[in-house]
Amino acid sequence: MGVTVRPQALIAEITHRCPLHCVYCSNPLAMQPRGDEMATDVWTRVFREAAELGVLHVHLTGGEPVLRPDLEQLVRAARAANLYINLITSGIGLGEQKLDALIDAGLDHLQLSFQDAEEEPANEFAGARAHARKLALAEVVRARQIGFTLNAVVHRQNLDRLEAIVAMAERLGVDRLEIANVQYYGWAIENREKLMPTRRQLDACVAAVEMHRKRLKGRMRIDFVPPDYYARYPKACMGGWGRSLLLVDPAGFVLPCHAAGVIPGLAFDNVQARPLRWIWQESPAFQRFRGEDWMPEPCRSCDRRHEDFGGCRCQALLLTGNASATDPVCSLSPDRNLVDAVIDRANAAVVAAPNWVYRIDPA
Amino acid sequence: MTATNIPRLARGCRLSEDPAQGWVLLIPEGVLRLSGPGPRILQRCDGSRTFGDIVRELGDEFAVADAALVEAETSAFLERLIARRIVVLE
Repeated sequence: MGVTVRPQALIAEITHRCPLHCVYCSNPLAMQPRGDEMATDVWTRVFREAAELGVLHVHLTGGEPVLRPDLEQLVRAARAANLYINLITSGIGLGEQKLDALIDAGLDHLQLSFQDAEEEPANEFAGARAHARKLALAEVVRARQIGFTLNAVVHRQNLDRLEAIVAMAERLGVDRLEIANVQYYGWAIENREKLMPTRRQLDACVAAVEMHRKRLKGRMRIDFVPPDYYARYPKACMGGWGRSLLLVDPAGFVLPCHAAGVIPGLAFDNVQARPLRWIWQESPAFQRFRGEDWMPEPCRSCDRRHEDFGGCRCQALLLTGNASATDPVCSLSPDRNLVDAVIDRANAAVVAAPNWVYRIDPA
Repeated sequence: MTATNIPRLARGCRLSEDPAQGWVLLIPEGVLRLSGPGPRILQRCDGSRTFGDIVRELGDEFAVADAALVEAETSAFLERLIARRIVVLE
């Protein structure tokens, strides 16, 4: 069975190496070592094959993509394939000269992550002295003619400083602010209890986002990613499995999302062995949860299945042990009690001072 | 919008012609598929033309005599993009 649906975006994890050690990093716990990273010419072919498949956006990410010495060539290659290029970076290692070289090579947009508006907690969450350097880079980026998004990851330990985060984004003059609640995969699930917000924090955050969106309309766009454990219905994870996004990891393995490597029994094909088109259209891993045939009840007969596609497969696995289960976030899921137990604890408990599990670097 | 406004694509927004998908407007985290006169309008939002220039050129290109109609439709198209910060006025 083939598919005719076109992917819109390619997430290119060009390295898993990173100078930061964020406690909620979305990289998998098992990362690809430096020695397995693909060469420039292979990535160049991947960009071309992705564009031929219909991809219009490439998100160059990692790890920290700036650690690749050939980043400028990769940007040039993506631009030659007629892709829109977004660089997702911590900013560490990105000087003025390198930035200008990337812009010259065709960079369209830069997304800079911030861990907080205050230096001390920001550096604590990142496990690195990064905050001041990010601020300095932001000034440089803003003076350039590229799109600029500030991505602020929010959670229990910094949501009370949301106003300061919005003020920082305004001061830096970004076009877009992404307020993204931590999603519980990868390293974040290791630190879940310390990161899970309270209901009071979430309500205040939602109200603040709504107020600032109105206030800043036409000047700065605010995108909001809620913590889905608090939702009634699951998120349409990745816009549905194998429907609009594909991810190529540093070693060339192609996944439908960041976290799918945790699902047992799925074999991911590699762009060095197979054409990207075949992997997208035919490979067993992409077919596994595509469409509706895999769905259990209550999804199978639910009207919302065309909107949320049954939610997130990785979350189903991580919480229920079964990747084919309805996303337990859904209030109709027989496993919703698992999610409720986590948020009940977050709201009842006094969470001890964080004893973080920091992300480590691959070999 | 007045005749002397200079509309241009906002930073991070780019018009592109895809061989299979036609004219698309690439924006951060998204794509707008363009049809009709959309690409012709946006090609002219290059920072060198005023809104008045653009309306005049479109009227000539599409051989529409009713300048008020061209102006109203172009303005409505651009205003929608301005509200989403995809087009900005200088």
